[in-house]
Amino acid sequence: MLVILPVFILFFSFFTSGKETLIYLLDTVLLDYTLNTIYLIFLTSVFALLFGIFPAWVISNYSFKGRSFFDIALYLPLAIPSYIMGFTYIEILSFTGPLQTFARSNLPSLSNFLNQDYLQIEVLGIILGLALYPYIYTASRISFSMIGSNYLNISKNMGLSNFQSFFKVVLPLSRPAIFSGLFLVIMEVLNEYGAVKYFGVNTYTTGIFRSWNSFGDVDGAIQLASILIVVVLIFFLIERLSVKKSRFYYNRNTQLNIRYTSSGIKPLIFWVICFIPFVLGFFIPFIFILNNSLETFHLADLSKVINLTWNSISVSGIASLLVIFFALFFLYVERISKSKINFYISNTISLGYALPGAVIALSLMILFKGSLLVGTFGVLLFAYVIRFLAVGKSPIQSSLEKQPETIDDTGKNLGLGPFSLLQKVHLPINKFALLSAFIVAFIDILKELPITLILSPFNFDTLATQTYEFAVEEMLPLSSIYSLIIIILGSLMLLILKNYIDKQIDVSKS
Amino acid sequence: MFLKVKNLVKNYSSKFPIIKDLSFSVEKGELISFLGESGSGKTTFLKCLAGLEKTNSGLIELNGKTLNDYNTFESPQKRKIGFVFQDYPLFPHLNLEQNITFNLEKKYEKNLDYILKLTGLKFLLERFPHELSGGEQQRACIARALIREPELLLLDEPFSNLDTTIKESMREEIYKIIKKTKTTTILVTHDINDALNISDRILIFKAGILQQYDSPVTMYCEPANCYCAEILGDMNKLFHKNDTYYVRPERVRVSKKKSKYKVHVEKCFFQGKEYKVKGKQNNETWHFFSKDPLEENKNVYVDFGEKDLIYFDPVCKNFFK
Repeated sequence: MLVILPVFILFFSFFTSGKETLIYLLDTVLLDYTLNTIYLIFLTSVFALLFGIFPAWVISNYSFKGRSFFDIALYLPLAIPSYIMGFTYIEILSFTGPLQTFARSNLPSLSNFLNQDYLQIEVLGIILGLALYPYIYTASRISFSMIGSNYLNISKNMGLSNFQSFFKVVLPLSRPAIFSGLFLVIMEVLNEYGAVKYFGVNTYTTGIFRSWNSFGDVDGAIQLASILIVVVLIFFLIERLSVKKSRFYYNRNTQLNIRYTSSGIKPLIFWVICFIPFVLGFFIPFIFILNNSLETFHLADLSKVINLTWNSISVSGIASLLVIFFALFFLYVERISKSKINFYISNTISLGYALPGAVIALSLMILFKGSLLVGTFGVLLFAYVIRFLAVGKSPIQSSLEKQPETIDDTGKNLGLGPFSLLQKVHLPINKFALLSAFIVAFIDILKELPITLILSPFNFDTLATQTYEFAVEEMLPLSSIYSLIIIILGSLMLLILKNYIDKQIDVSKS
Repeated sequence: MFLKVKNLVKNYSSKFPIIKDLSFSVEKGELISFLGESGSGKTTFLKCLAGLEKTNSGLIELNGKTLNDYNTFESPQKRKIGFVFQDYPLFPHLNLEQNITFNLEKKYEKNLDYILKLTGLKFLLERFPHELSGGEQQRACIARALIREPELLLLDEPFSNLDTTIKESMREEIYKIIKKTKTTTILVTHDINDALNISDRILIFKAGILQQYDSPVTMYCEPANCYCAEILGDMNKLFHKNDTYYVRPERVRVSKKKSKYKVHVEKCFFQGKEYKVKGKQNNETWHFFSKDPLEENKNVYVDFGEKDLIYFDPVCKNFFK
C-alpha cells in the first residue's frame, strides 16, 4: 500500500477530474513535453553509456598507473546533484565565465566560436550523462568483474581479438546489468527537475511544477503526472522483460579475473578513458564550486550555512534510517514467511524508485489536502521513504540472498525464534549491507530536490533547496558554499561506502 | 523403540508427493543410513524430523514424546534434535568457539572441553569459518550439534563436499564420535560406501516409499527388489534354468577351466588390489574382479555358486535396462 498509494490517488484523481484540461494539454504542450523527454532520455543515455562502460572495462581488466585512484574517483560524480552540475557548467561556459574570458584574452579567434547559447537540450544531455554515468559504471564494473577470464580466454582461443571479444562476448553477457543501470539513468532523467527547469527544457516534470505552482492548475498537474506514471511503467516493463529475456546463468568467477599489465601506448589510452569522465564529471565542477565558495565566503551567512547543513544531515539521516528499517522489515518477512504474497509485496515496493519525486509529492499533497499533516516532517519523510525504499532495499536484498537458507534452519535448530534470529544472526552478518543501504539512501536524499521543494515544512530549507533558489535567482556564486557542502558530504559518504565494499570483497575472497 | 515414524506423508503439491507413506523405527544408539537418489526427498524428510518442514500427516515420536501428529507440532526450537547440514552453515560473523556455543543453555557448557577433544578442534577456537578447512568446518558443525546432547542427530550428506582423500578418515572419525557419545543418528547419503561402512541399518527410499530397511549385509546379499539391489552395487544379468537371475561382481570368479559362462573382455582396469573387468556375456554387460590382468578382446571363463544367484519378480527386471 505504501508505494501503490500515490499511484492510486493520482489515477483516481485523473478519472474524476475534468477532461477539458486533458484535451487542452493534448492540443498544446503534451507533444512538446513528450518529444523533449524522449530526446533528453536518448541523449543522456548515450553519454552515460559512453562515460560508464569503457572506464568500467578498463578498470576491471587492466593494471595501469592510477587505476586504484580512478576506481574510487569514477564514483564521485554521484556526489554532485545533476542540477548543481547543470548550473555550474552553464556558469563555466557563459560569456563571463572562465572559458570565454580566457579565450577573449588569449585566443580571440576562438572566442566568437565559443560565444554560444549553451542552454540547449543537447548540452543538458551531455551534462546529465556526466552526472549519471556512475549508475552505468557501477553496474558494468560489477558485471565485468564477475564474468571472469574464462569466457575471454575461450573467445580468444576461437580467434577473436580483445576488441572483438569485448563486443561479442563481454557486452552481450553484461547486457542485463548494463540495462539495469540504464534504467536507473532513465528514471533519474524523468525525475530531474532543477536542471531541466534551468535549461528551459519542457519535460513532464517541469510541466507538473508549472501547472501546479504557476498556473494553479491542479487538474493539469494530475493529468501530466498520470501520463508520466504510464511512461515510467512502460520503461519499467521494458526493463523487466529485457532483463528476464537476457538473464544468463553464467558461472560466476569461473576463474578470478586476471588484470593484464599493459605496456606501450595502451596505459595512456586507458588513463585518458578514465580521466575524461572523472575530470568533466567531478573535478572541473568541484574546483569551480570550490573557487566560487572561497571568493564568496565573506558574503556567506555562516549561521545559515550551519543551520541548513544540520537540516540536510538530520532529515537525510532520519529518512535513511526509516528506509533501512522498512526495507529490512519487508525483506525479512519475505524471507522467513516464504509466501508468494510477501514476495510480490516486497517486489512492488521497488516500484517507488521509478516514481518521479514530483509525482509522489503531488499525490501526497492531494491525499493530505486540507489536513494538518500538509507541510509536516511526517509527510516529507513518508515521501522520501516511498521514493528511496528500493535504493535501501537493493544492498540488503543482495546480502540476504548470499546467506543460504540453512543459516536460518540452523538458527531455528539451535533454538532461535524469528526475532532472535534477526538480532543474533542476520543483523550482524548483514551489517555492511545495512550500512551501504544507509549511505546510498543518505546521499540520494541529501541531493533530492522536487520532493523537498514541494513538501518541506514552512521555513524549512535544506542545502539542496537553498542551492536551487540561489541558482534560479541568478545568484549562482552565492549558492556555491551550499553546493560544496553537499558535494563534500556526498563524497565522504561515497568513500566510506567504497571502503566497506572493498572490505566485503576481501572477506568473500578469503 | 526410540524413534518412531508412522504413515508420514509430505507433499508440496498434491500432484508430486515427496513422501507418500513412510513408517519405520530406530533403536537408541543406532546409526541409520537413509539412502536414495538426489532429489528423492531425503533432506525434506530430515527437515520434517527436525520440525523445519511441516508434514501433511503421520506421526513422529522421539523418546516417547510425540513431536508431530494430527494435533501436535513441536517447534524446531523445542525438539532435542541436532542437525548437521550439507553445506556446513557456520555463522560467518562468529569464531569457532562462538559458533559451537551459540545459544547454548548453561547446563551444556560443561560439555565443551569433551566435545572439542573429541572433534580435535581445541586449538582452532579463535578461528573464523573462512579460516577453517572443509573437514574442520564439518567437525565444528558436528560439535555444535553434539554439545547440546541431542536425542537424535541428523547428518545431511556430511561427506559430499569433501575430497576422497579426507572423506574416508572423516567417516571413521564421525563414526567413532557418534558411537562414543551413543547418539542415535540418521545419516542421509547417496554414497553407497558411506552407508555400507558405518551404518547399523540402511533404509532405502525411492519414489516417496520405503523400499527396504535392513542391516548392510542383508541388504547387499538379499535385496528386497531390483532397485535396492541396483543402488547397492553392480549386478550381472544371466539366464539360468529358463529364467533371469543376477549375480554380484564380487561373487564371480575367473575360471581356468571351461565353464558354462564365457565373457568377452572389453576393458580391464587396475584398481590397486585387483583388476576390475568389464565384458560381455551373452550380450549383457558384466563386471567382475580378477587378481591378474586379463587381455582385452579375448574370451575368459567365469563361474560362481548357485547360492549367489539373486532372483526378482519379472516386473522389477526392467530396472536393470
